[in-house]
Parts: sequence; C-alpha cells; structure tokens
Amino acid sequence: MIARIARKEMVEMFRDGRFHLAAGIIGVLLLASLAAGWKQYADLKTQHETAQRAERANWLGQKPKNPHQGAHYGVYAFKPKSQLSMVDTGVDPYVGVAVYLEAHKQNEFKFRPAQDASTSIQRFGELTAATVLQLLIPLLIVLLTFSAFAGEREQGTMRQVLSLGIGRGRLAAGKALGVAGALAVVLVPATLVGVGTLAFTSTTGLLAVDVSRTLLMVGTYGAYFAIFLALSLAISALARSSRFALVALLAFWIVNGLVATRAFSDLAGYLHPTPSEVEFDKALQADLANSTALNARLEQIKQGLFQKYGVQKLDALPVNFRGISLQEAEDHGYTIFEKHYGDVFDSFDGQNAVYQWGSLAAPLLAVRSLSMGLAGTDFAHHRHFTTAAEDYRRTIIRYMNQDILVHPVKDGEEYLAGSDLWQKVPPFEYEAPSASWALGHYITSTVLLSGWLAATLLAAFVAANRIEA
Amino acid sequence: MLRRIARHEWRMLFAEHAPWVVAALLAASTGYAVLNGLNWTSFQVATIEKALDEEAERYIGLKQQVTAIESGQMRAPFADPRMPDMAGGRLAPRYAAMPPLPLAALSIGQSDVLPYYFKVSTASRESVLTTNEIENPHRLLHGRFDLSFVIIYLFPLLIIGLSYNLLSLEKEQGTLALLLSQPVPLSTYVAGKIGVRAALVVLLVVMFSITGIAVGGVDVTPGGTLLRLAVWTGVVAAYGGFWFGVVLLATSFGRSSATNALSLATVWLLLVVVLPSTLNTAVAALYPVPSRVDMIAAVRVASDQASAKGNTLLAKYYGDHPEFVAGSDIEKAINDVAITRLAIDDEIEERVRPVVDRYDTQLARQQGLVDRFRLLSPAIVAQDALNDLAGTGSARFAHFVRRVEAFHRDWRARFASMIVQKQRLSAAMYDDIPHFTYQDEPLGAVVVRAGVALLLLLGAGLVLGAIGINRLRRYPIAG
Repeated sequence: MIARIARKEMVEMFRDGRFHLAAGIIGVLLLASLAAGWKQYADLKTQHETAQRAERANWLGQKPKNPHQGAHYGVYAFKPKSQLSMVDTGVDPYVGVAVYLEAHKQNEFKFRPAQDASTSIQRFGELTAATVLQLLIPLLIVLLTFSAFAGEREQGTMRQVLSLGIGRGRLAAGKALGVAGALAVVLVPATLVGVGTLAFTSTTGLLAVDVSRTLLMVGTYGAYFAIFLALSLAISALARSSRFALVALLAFWIVNGLVATRAFSDLAGYLHPTPSEVEFDKALQADLANSTALNARLEQIKQGLFQKYGVQKLDALPVNFRGISLQEAEDHGYTIFEKHYGDVFDSFDGQNAVYQWGSLAAPLLAVRSLSMGLAGTDFAHHRHFTTAAEDYRRTIIRYMNQDILVHPVKDGEEYLAGSDLWQKVPPFEYEAPSASWALGHYITSTVLLSGWLAATLLAAFVAANRIEA
Repeated sequence: MLRRIARHEWRMLFAEHAPWVVAALLAASTGYAVLNGLNWTSFQVATIEKALDEEAERYIGLKQQVTAIESGQMRAPFADPRMPDMAGGRLAPRYAAMPPLPLAALSIGQSDVLPYYFKVSTASRESVLTTNEIENPHRLLHGRFDLSFVIIYLFPLLIIGLSYNLLSLEKEQGTLALLLSQPVPLSTYVAGKIGVRAALVVLLVVMFSITGIAVGGVDVTPGGTLLRLAVWTGVVAAYGGFWFGVVLLATSFGRSSATNALSLATVWLLLVVVLPSTLNTAVAALYPVPSRVDMIAAVRVASDQASAKGNTLLAKYYGDHPEFVAGSDIEKAINDVAITRLAIDDEIEERVRPVVDRYDTQLARQQGLVDRFRLLSPAIVAQDALNDLAGTGSARFAHFVRRVEAFHRDWRARFASMIVQKQRLSAAMYDDIPHFTYQDEPLGAVVVRAGVALLLLLGAGLVLGAIGINRLRRYPIAG
C-alpha cells in the first residue's frame, strides 16, 4: 500500500512541469559545481605535487654549505588537496596554501586563495556541490512536500483518501517515500557521477576512494534531507492551509540556511575572541627574546661538558658546542611557538564548538561542520597538517644540528656539509587522518543532527496520526 | 482616493500586527548587524593603534641603541640599527594602514578577508603585500552577520513576506470583486497597498540602521560621511524599490498566494544566492588565478640562481645605477654584503615579475567579467555600492594597495641609496624615515559609482513595476 501511494505521488510530480524545471536546474547546478570542484581539485593536486617534488630537488641540490645554512635554506610544505574537497571546498580558500619551514621560527601559512581572487562578488561564496546540497535540495524538498496533506485537505480529497481506511501513518510513509523517490532521480545520478569521477581519476590507484569518508558524507546529507522531509510533512499535516505550511517552511529554510550560520559565527567570535596579528606577534617576539632561562641552561650544559671531558675551552671539546646551542635555542622556541599558536588555534576550536552548538537552532550548522570535516577541508585538518609540517621542520633542524655537533671545528674554520647530509633528511610525506579522527571533532554535530532526525521523525509520525479531513 | 486606500491598508496591517512583527524582526536583525559591524571596525581601529604604538616603541628603542653604540656604551650587535640594510629591512619597518571609514560598520564587505595594514620594509613587494590578519577560517567562510547582509538577503524576503498575497488573498477571500465594484481602478488600489508597505519597511530599515550607528557612537563629522550616508540610504531604498517592482510584476499574473510565494522565493533565490555564487565560480573557472604554489617555486629558483651569481650581479647593479659609482669606492663596495643582497633582491624581483604579473592580469580579467555580468543580479549591484560607500569594497582596497606600492618603492629606493653610499643611520636620521599617510580616493568617484548603482536599481524597479501595473488591466478579478 505504501509503495502504491509513493508511486502515485511520484507520478504526480513527474507530470508537473514545475518539478521538471526545479529538478532540472538543481541537477544541472549540482553537476556543474561537481565539475568545477573536480577541476579545481585536479589542478591544485598536480600543482602541489609538482611543487613538493621541486622543493625536494632544491633541497637535495644544495651546494656544500654549513648545515645551519641548510636549515636556513629550508623547505616549503604545500598543503595537499583532499579528494572530497571537490564536494566541499570548506575553508580551503581562507587558509594559506603553503608554509615555509626554516630554522628558528615556526612560520604562518601564507597565501590565502580568497585574497588573490578578491573580486567584488567573492563574499557571495562559491557554488560548490555542498552549497547545492545544503541549501537548494532542502528547498526542493519543501516545495515538493508543503502541500502533501494541506493541499489534499484544501482540494477536499483528504476525506476520500481517509475513507478508504488506510492508516494515517502509512499514508505519511507513502508520501515521504514518493518525495524521496523524486529526489533520488536528481541525487543518485549525481552521486554516482561524483564518486565515479573520483574513482576513475584517482592517481593513487584505480578506485582509491576514501570509502568510509564518502559513506559518512552520504549518510550526513541523507539524514539532513530526511530531517527536512519529515519536518515538511509534519508542518503540512498540522497547517491550517497549504499557504501557511509553505510560508512557515520557507521561514525555517531561511533561518536555517542563511541567518543561523552567520549569526552563530559572529556569536562565537564574541565568546572566543582572537588577538590581532600585531598583538600576537608582539607577545610572541617578547617571549622569544627572553633568553635568560635558555642562557642559564646552556651555561649548565657547557659546565657539564667541561667537567665530563676535563677541559676548559669550547674548542677543546670533542663535540661542536654550536650544535648543542642551536638545538637548545630551537627547543626553547618550540615551547613558545606551541603555546602561542596553540592558544590561537584553541580559540578557533572554541569558536567552532559554539557554532556546532548552534545546530540546536538550525540543523545546517551540524551538516556544514560535518561535511567540511569529512571532506578534510575544515580547520581541524588544517591544524593537523600544520602540526605535521612543524614536526618535519623539527626533523630537518635536528639532522642539521646533529651534524654540526659531530663535526668539531677549530677557531675560524667553517665546516661544510654536502649532499650526504641533505640525502639523510627523509622527504616530507603527509598522511591525512582517518575518517574516525575527523568524526571525533564533530561529536556535538553528530549527536545534535541525530537528535533533529529523531525529533522530526517523531513529529511527522505524531502529526500524521492526528490528520483530520 | 490613494490616501484613503493607504489609510485603510495601514489599519488592516495593524489589525494583523504586521507592523509590529516587521519592526521587531528588523530591530533585532539590524541591531545585531550594526553591533557586529561596530565590533569589527573598533577591532580594526584598535589594531592599527596598537601597530603604530608598537612601531613608535620600536623606534625609540632603536634610537637609544644607536646613541648607545655611537657613544661607545654598547657593542654593535649583529643586527646593527646603524646599518641601512638592517634598518630598512627587519629592524625599522613602518606600518602602512588604511583606517576604516566611519560608515564601515554598515558593511563589513571584503574587509575581513583583505588586509587593512601592511608592514613596509625593503623586503620584496610580494612579501610585504601578503600580511594576514588572524581569523578563524571557518568564520571567514560563514561570512558576517552585518547590515549589508540584512539588507541584501533579508530585506527582500521581508518585502516578499509582506506582499506576496497582495491581491491574491483578497481574491481567495472573495473580497476583491466586491471592492472593485467601487469606482476605483485596480492599479490605484495596488499602488496604495504597495506604497504603504514600501513606506513601512524602507523607513524602518533606514531608521533602525541610523539609530544603530548613532547609538554605537559613529562619528559622522568627517568630510563626506553625511553624503555617503545619504547615498547609502538611497541605494537601500532603490534596492527595496526593485523588489517591490518584482512583487508587482508577480502579482499581475493573478496566481494563487501559494504560487506567488513560491515564484517570488525562487526569483529571490536565483538573484541573491544562485546567480552571484555561480558567477563567482564561473569567473574562477574561466580565468583561474594561478595558484601561489607556482610563484613560490619561481621565487625559490630565482633566489638560488641569483645568489649563485652574486658578484656578477653586483657589477651589473653598478652598471644599472651609475649614479652610485661616482665618488664611491667600488673596490670596497664589492665586499659589501648588503649591496650584493640588494642586487640579488632586484634580480629576483625581475625574474619573478612575469609570474607575479599573471596574478594581476587574471584578477583584472575576473573583475572585468564580473563587471560585465553583475547587472544580472541586483544583489551584486547593491552589495558593491554598499561596500563602496562603507569603504570596504575592492575599489578602496585597490587604491590602498597602489599607495602602499608607491610608498614601498620609495622606501626601497631610499634605503638602497643609503646602502650603496654606505651611510650609517644616526638617531636623528630615524626621525626622517617617512611615514605612510593614507589618502582616500576622491569622494566624487565613489558617489558617482554608487549613484549609477542607485539609478540602475531604481530604473529596473520602475520598469518591472510599470510592466506589472500595465498587466494589471488584464487581472482576472474573479475565478
């Protein structure tokens, strides 16, 4: 019976020119945005890989020089594009694409793409597949569903349908299934095309798609659509007229899609303010300049070495003290950088937590967070890469300082290292974290989205059972 | 007659409590929006102040160091503040800031993504011009809840919400035929209805916005601020007028309330959300700005090559700048690391220029395309004008960058000549290092651009409205 109702609903929609138009436009936009996303992903991926290889060649091609000069020469680390960024580019336009890894300091990421492409419409946002899924599909659901019950009541067909003795719950289920079927006509091909493109263009091997991330993303959007479907049915069942149902649902769509995201983002800014770059840099430089503890520690090490080897002069040591002092200075810097960057990054995380709680008011906030997280284009992934790049910087410097340490020099001499040393430093390899790691950052969103799903399904069930003709 | 209709309509709206609901929604959203705008501009002002304080403090410290070194109280450190290459490079950079205009709180625009201050030193143009303010990238992505968001996105929805059932409701209730049996033309009746609504929402939006900035303590005395505010009000009213024009046209088709709501929401979605973001994506796909990754690689290669032939470059540098050769001891100069560095920097800049120029060309092409197609969406036209008037748009930023570039060129030339002439900075010379003063582009240009936008919006609204009024003659009053 449910299937028959669903079929009737679908047939009705498929005969409606407005459905053809709306579904056609949305389908085209979805495919176009996927294509644009894929092109961007493919272009940037190649660029970043080429650049990273070139950087490795630059590093290995260094002429003989002192290892510390090598550390100053450094390496650039380029942030790789994630596969699913073709669906959701997330914060990628707003974070730098590369970081310079050099001696003495942890640099910030430079070159935010949004700054380079700052045409006057840039702040309207990009049309990504995520935008289509987050804003347009819910609107399509509202348009397909608002008159499901209210419309039948107005036309007077509700009484007839109910007189057939069909259960109200079954009627609702059938209508929901009908709308879902119509949506599937748009969504299933797009999903297949998207996954297919990823699978067949993957350079890391045919079909090398991150299955768990993809499935979780499909699940997230599926839940989001189900929420809209259930809510629309509930409102349609309760509404006095289909006009009222439509206006109420559009109002919800606007608050959910437009108002809440900005309102909570600004609220988060009030609750977790961040320092300006000027303040940040001033505090950082002040801490770095304070070398009392460092000097005391170096003196202590020096005396310890003098005692150990029974000598009085640095020159007489069997090791090069400069290797130690450079490394100690780095270690001194590590804790300071960790504290300063850590504080700022933690306040970003705090802001993002406030934003996630905003999904109490609007499910989109949970979906946006989860979608970016699963696509690997959120701040958490950026921070993960930042840490990996910083670890690599420390690795390079440790190799350099270790080499200085084991090459004692007499006054005025300069030790030069060659390609052996450059070779010793392993190339930079970054592995993106797992899907469960990504999901771990969005427990709040997952719970609240599930809550919305349960609540709206319950509302639809209750409302459907109270339908009156 | 029109007055009587308007009075009646006004009473009807009040009976439904509509004015109160509209006022409450607008008060809450404009209040929050203006608060956010003010919060952002005061953050910017405070940051610029802190930057200048930091600079002043740094300069005092450097001058003290110079005096101490000169009098022999202190040994010259590696970063010797008397050396022009150190002073012009890492020690004594000055900030070049573009302070927000008084009305910046009305539209945050692009000011959260684009820098509003640079630290100018002898470093390359690229590294001087790539400062970033600390900001959560998620917040940059979500955008701000500012007044121009309320106006561009929410204001049309309010207009649609108030008037989608302008006539259809009367028709559905059966009162329309009754009403038109009176000697009143339909167009007059509709004009009265629309007029009341337009007056209500436009006045409320403008009133709340101005109250907001007045309460927030925005200073409107600086020259041109009131004129900007007046044009701003005009653009807001014209944008509202455009949407009333759309409503009038939709009404004239004589469809049901639900169909009107649907089609108006769709038009809004297309013009405000889909079209701008599609254009944005299309522009980026047609004229992609090359990734900075390419530039980094180019700089890297150029630096390596330039450093490798440092001495040849030095000779070439003197060839290019014969004015420095006369009277200076070349033999000694050759050993001067600073001069080699200078020559290397020049060489790098020259080699990288073609790569860098590509960014500017592509961006110019993108903006060209945007300028051509922006007329498709009133939202883009209005947003551009509001940003322009608030001083947070791309035009003012481009103007700022041009001025900083000039300042940076002078700065480099100044220190380069000091380096080549092997001057040493005294404490007094620190006071002579020039400051950057920001001078805004002429007000006339801004007003003309915004005025054109205003006229475009007004014209489009009038045309749509006129078509609507004309079609009303064939309005199906019954059935």
